[in-house]
Amino acid sequence: MQGIELSIIYATSFAILLMGYFTAISSKDLIRLLIALELMFGAVFMSLIPLFSALSNAAFGIAIITIFTSSGELLVLIAAIVTMDRERKNIYTSSVTIGGDKL
Amino acid sequence: MIDESKSNRKKTKVFLTIVQKFESMNIEIETLLLLAIAGVAALSSLAVLLTRDNFYASMFMSATLVMVAGIYALFNLQPVFVLIVFIFVGAIGIVTIALAATYRFAPERQISVLWSLPVIITAFILGYSVHISNLASLEKIQFALQKFITPEYLLLILFLTALIILLMLSVLKMGIEKEEGRS
Repeated sequence: MQGIELSIIYATSFAILLMGYFTAISSKDLIRLLIALELMFGAVFMSLIPLFSALSNAAFGIAIITIFTSSGELLVLIAAIVTMDRERKNIYTSSVTIGGDKL
Repeated sequence: MIDESKSNRKKTKVFLTIVQKFESMNIEIETLLLLAIAGVAALSSLAVLLTRDNFYASMFMSATLVMVAGIYALFNLQPVFVLIVFIFVGAIGIVTIALAATYRFAPERQISVLWSLPVIITAFILGYSVHISNLASLEKIQFALQKFITPEYLLLILFLTALIILLMLSVLKMGIEKEEGRS
């Protein structure tokens, strides 16, 4: 893997992660938050590629752990969205009153 | 007719000049392909941020993840490509699209478009600093799934599957308890 390929991978990964962060902070509803989280995990997967060059087996193990944990996390968030819709009849982030800082 | 043949010749010359320039820059076709896929991935992630409709945002998000998986395929890492496309895009992505289609409305954007300028500058500085830092060229990726299938890793996969099942069971229990509480 050449230096230029590494820089392309890292720069794109950073760009996707940044877009994920901006989407998360600009989201007004939980679906957009879910989409932002998935984008961020996509960036994490991308930054894993160079590790395959040095430690391929360990990198594949890390990829599997990331896929499983992120899938579990996202599934719980999906369940939370459905539960919140049942309880509050909306999915706006402004309706979430527990946890986080009050600005 | 003469004009058409002249314009065709000109186009061929321009194409050949571009090819020669890339050859002189010593850029391989794989690098160009990587650049193209990475560019599409970055642009579709930007589209997620800019679109106001959640449904389109989820579609662009799926496109970004497919492109990330495509980069894995480019480096001959088919097992990870299959995992990302099947689990991440095929399962989670489709559920997200279905949810976005169910709760389809266009919320107002909170973020200012002015933020895009510092984002582009930061990404450029980062990309350039990584490029000029003379990263040591890594070896060619050689991954074989057969070498990965060891008892330790199989146990890890088993534990992770158990974790997912436990998570889903607890979510189901939570839903059932709420239903019982209502009735």
